[in-house]
Amino acid sequence: MLSKEPIPTQHLTAMSLEIQFKRTPFTVTAQLAGSLDTATAPELLRQLTPILDSQVTDLAFDLAKLTFISSAGLRVFAIARKRLKERSGQTSFVNMQPQIMEVFEIVKALPGVSVFASIEEMDTYLAAQQRKHTAGGSQEFSGPTFQIDP
Amino acid sequence: MKTALLILELQATPDEVMRGVEGLQEFCRAQAVAEKTIHALMLSLEEIASNVVNHACRRDPLQSFRVSIQHAGDRILVEVRDHGPAFNPLLFVDPASEAEDEDRAEGGWGIPLVRHSMDELHYVREGADNVLTMSKHLQPAGGR
Repeated sequence: MLSKEPIPTQHLTAMSLEIQFKRTPFTVTAQLAGSLDTATAPELLRQLTPILDSQVTDLAFDLAKLTFISSAGLRVFAIARKRLKERSGQTSFVNMQPQIMEVFEIVKALPGVSVFASIEEMDTYLAAQQRKHTAGGSQEFSGPTFQIDP
Repeated sequence: MKTALLILELQATPDEVMRGVEGLQEFCRAQAVAEKTIHALMLSLEEIASNVVNHACRRDPLQSFRVSIQHAGDRILVEVRDHGPAFNPLLFVDPASEAEDEDRAEGGWGIPLVRHSMDELHYVREGADNVLTMSKHLQPAGGR
């Protein structure tokens, strides 16, 4: 199909991922910025491992600045979800950008995960969940923006 | 007919896969391709090239593969060529994709993403090369 010789591409660099963790009374939030892909997913999994090995039961991913995700990134989320579910924990996603949401929807990945439109909405939901657990009572809150159906 | 071409020689590592993806993004932006289409192309190249690196080249950085990107009229063509053993990424079945419900959610999504994102996919064993070609039709200005 194509026959020309390669051209110089030394200026190109692999895209990067910035990872920051924030702890709140109810959850650990991983803020991701950049590209979650075949090159960066292993580093995210490495940094998540101590959290997945701990007693944390609510893990959230803030994807406001995540611009790209591939199946390698989805796999890390799936591992996290599975580990937390083993101890009745919950994995949530907030500020998901349209192109990221589309990838989730194409492959119907991560059935049952909670997706929130904002940090405030997620905090309110998790606080209500926490009160429900400690008081044994019910709280009025409509829940996450939506859940990705199984 | 408008034609432009970019050819990248890349080593068989994940970082090089993403260098190729960035090259594709840069090329398509220079060709004024819509961002949504660029994203679909980037995703597909990442998935196919990752399979080539992980399975055909077995992450051997001494091996290399070639990515050719062509803007030909109303479509973008992407060709991924390697010299590894015969390997058709379109037929590759990730073990995770065959697991039961809960474990199913750990992988096997790469090729479904590519099939959804591209308009045409074609694999051929050409001499000692694996050649995977993908194409994406471009919408008129103002489209995707």
